[in-house]
Amino acid sequence: MDRIIATAEALWRMMRRIAEILLLLHWFNLLSVEGTRYSLPGKPTLTRCRSPEKETFTCWWEPSFDGGLSTTYALYYCKENSDTVHECPDYHTAGVNSCFFNKNNTSIWVNYNITVVATNALGSTFSDPVEIDVVYIVMPHPPENVGVTVLEDKGWPFLRLSWEPPHKVDTRSGWITLIYELRVKLEEETEWEMHLAGQQKMFNIFSLRSGGTYLVQVRCKPDHGFWSEWSSTTSIKVPDYFQRERSVWVMIMVSSAFIFLIITWLIHINSHSLKHYILPPVPGPKIKGFDKQFMKDGKSEGFFCDLVSIHFPATTTPNDEDLLVEYLEVCVPEEQELKMEDKGEDGCPKSESSTSDCDSGRGSCDSQTLLIDKCFKRVAPGLDIECSQTGTGANEIQDSPDVSSGRVKTWPSVYSPLSQHPVDLMHSLDKSKQHCLSDTLFPSDSSCPYHSHPDHSTNDNPDSTYWKFCFNNKQRLLLRPQMETQWQPHAYSEVNISATVRSSDYVEAHNISDENTVVLHSVSSSHDDREGTGYKYQGEDYSHVQRVGSDNVLMLQRGLMKEPVDTGFCKNQQANRAAGTSDTSPITRNQKPTVCNETTLSVNGPAANGYVDTATMFIKPTQD
Amino acid sequence: FLVSVCVVWLLCVSVMLCSVCTAPVCTNAQVGCHAVSLNNLFDRIIQHSAKMHRVSNDLHQQFELHVLPSRNQVGRGGHICHTSTIMTPNGKENAQRMAREGLTQVILQLLMAWTDPLMNLHHSSTNVSVDMSSMVGELRRGVQRLAEKMHTLGLLTDPDSSVVSPEALMTSHPVPWRLMNLYDILYCFRRDSNKVHNYLRILKCRIVPEHGC
Repeated sequence: MDRIIATAEALWRMMRRIAEILLLLHWFNLLSVEGTRYSLPGKPTLTRCRSPEKETFTCWWEPSFDGGLSTTYALYYCKENSDTVHECPDYHTAGVNSCFFNKNNTSIWVNYNITVVATNALGSTFSDPVEIDVVYIVMPHPPENVGVTVLEDKGWPFLRLSWEPPHKVDTRSGWITLIYELRVKLEEETEWEMHLAGQQKMFNIFSLRSGGTYLVQVRCKPDHGFWSEWSSTTSIKVPDYFQRERSVWVMIMVSSAFIFLIITWLIHINSHSLKHYILPPVPGPKIKGFDKQFMKDGKSEGFFCDLVSIHFPATTTPNDEDLLVEYLEVCVPEEQELKMEDKGEDGCPKSESSTSDCDSGRGSCDSQTLLIDKCFKRVAPGLDIECSQTGTGANEIQDSPDVSSGRVKTWPSVYSPLSQHPVDLMHSLDKSKQHCLSDTLFPSDSSCPYHSHPDHSTNDNPDSTYWKFCFNNKQRLLLRPQMETQWQPHAYSEVNISATVRSSDYVEAHNISDENTVVLHSVSSSHDDREGTGYKYQGEDYSHVQRVGSDNVLMLQRGLMKEPVDTGFCKNQQANRAAGTSDTSPITRNQKPTVCNETTLSVNGPAANGYVDTATMFIKPTQD
Repeated sequence: FLVSVCVVWLLCVSVMLCSVCTAPVCTNAQVGCHAVSLNNLFDRIIQHSAKMHRVSNDLHQQFELHVLPSRNQVGRGGHICHTSTIMTPNGKENAQRMAREGLTQVILQLLMAWTDPLMNLHHSSTNVSVDMSSMVGELRRGVQRLAEKMHTLGLLTDPDSSVVSPEALMTSHPVPWRLMNLYDILYCFRRDSNKVHNYLRILKCRIVPEHGC
């Protein structure tokens, strides 16, 4: 019995121990479980405190883990320089985990020391304290009533933005001063364009894209605080406008005007050449020594004086330009020369020049002379005829005339070659007596303005042209009337003209045959050639034109120095010669001893058969 | 000519720099004196106070950033400003409830209280290079001019709260400013400049509300 009781007690103790052990184990187990699930709450943190209008403010905190147990949070604050701890008056207005301080609990310019406490069954956890001053935590609401309109400024559109401060912020009393900022962008763009608007509540945006849609947002900030959130987006569409087209037109017009100005300037610069190109200048009468003004003045005497004078021996050397310019040299008739001798420097001082070359194209101021020249030229191609001074005139010639074989200097289309002679012969005034034969010696032709024998009037051109024809003194030109009718440029081939070129010899009209042929006789310094002529030249080699008849016929003097044959040729002019004509007109009359009366011959003078010395043209008809 | 140009330029610069210059306040009787309107005077004063507050704010931030980096959250409290005895409205209602004269007086008191500490700060401390005391002094003189002008215009009616001699207000301070350290001075001045700026704005919008209120 005792043993049974002892065993039972041992078993009972063992079981208790086991139970205790189990209990302990259970306890331990429990405890361990509590360590993962239940603990003190985590340390909360105050995230931020904000005041929208500087009159109230709200603080938010962030809870940590709760420790498995329900945790409560409490916010405590104490004001500056006060130890009184207050608890948050309002946990709900601002949402979860927030504390809202209303106006009564808000003091500006006062430091708040705020702490959040998390409490659960196991304990409490305090957060780090935060000190705030409401003045520096102001973050207003976004501006309200953002309005956008499209206005026009001189045809160009622009956006006008307007807004209002958030209704809670009191700016009217000056409690808060806000500054604004806005941003704009096109609908399809990604980047915003920021603009700071200051304290104004209105803003203009220019340089818009026509037809685009713009998005606008505004925000605000107090003096020292935080920027508000952006307001809701306001969109506006800009209507299309025509300014772009107009600007394109303006540019086109400006550029065209510019081009036009440039072209005008170019034309103005090249006006001269253009004029020459479009309207080639008409060659006018250019006679050396021809003074138009003088003509106009009506002083014919002086006019011819000038003509005959200095310019006679063309001082300019022939060159291409001269070839082109049709300068006619007026040559002085022998009468003039004679007169010159008599009078010396009297009268027309310029007449000295007339004694020069007879080759010079001294024709009338008439283009027909040119034609004659051409005719002659063609007629006698290869002929080298030059006017050579008679007799010793060659010695006087400083420059021997250009003796170029086969060149008829007399009748080039331009007179320039002729001018050479005048230059050279100018100095041989005294001795060089040039005989100028009237063109009447030649058969007249409509194209050749020379005049045939007085009897050969007919179809000569009315213009009397003085023609000088110089032949080699050896030569003799015999013109036949047939030449008249058969006048052709080459008709001159009949003329026997040797190619010898010497100083210009003059051919004098020997006589006039019955056949209305003027026999020309070369005149040279040597009088030997004149055996047959019967003419006696006494140092003066002229074919003297005694007079010009009423029919504008040139009457040549048969005898030189002799009493004129009373064949009607020439009146006795010896008296005049000897006396030196006292005529007034220096050119007039036969001043020269061997010069018979001269007759005036107008430029448009006798037709046909009127050989007229141009110099004599202006001579008044002397008494016959 | 150059000298005159330089003189003119210097004058212009000085005028620009000091928004409240020592220009005499003109009365109607004075001749040849360019009278400044009340609105213009307010604008100048407010600009000046804004500048002052900006400077003080920058100083304080620089100090916290470089001198006390470890004390961002802790140690901020406990600032005792020597101007705490001055009764200043701490809320919008209080400020709006206060009369113009009271506000003007408070402004002047604040400005008066800071002249000396700042002067001392500028001379003693090497960290602070900006002479804020001159700014405070100029602002004070400007506010005094403003008060006088308002008084002449009849805006300040309360005879008791007329312009009080500033010296009378500086009799007792709970904390002599000499005991304040640099950090406290910067902190307190930053706050007081903000107060002055705000009070001036309230005053302006109360007296001349048509511009920018």
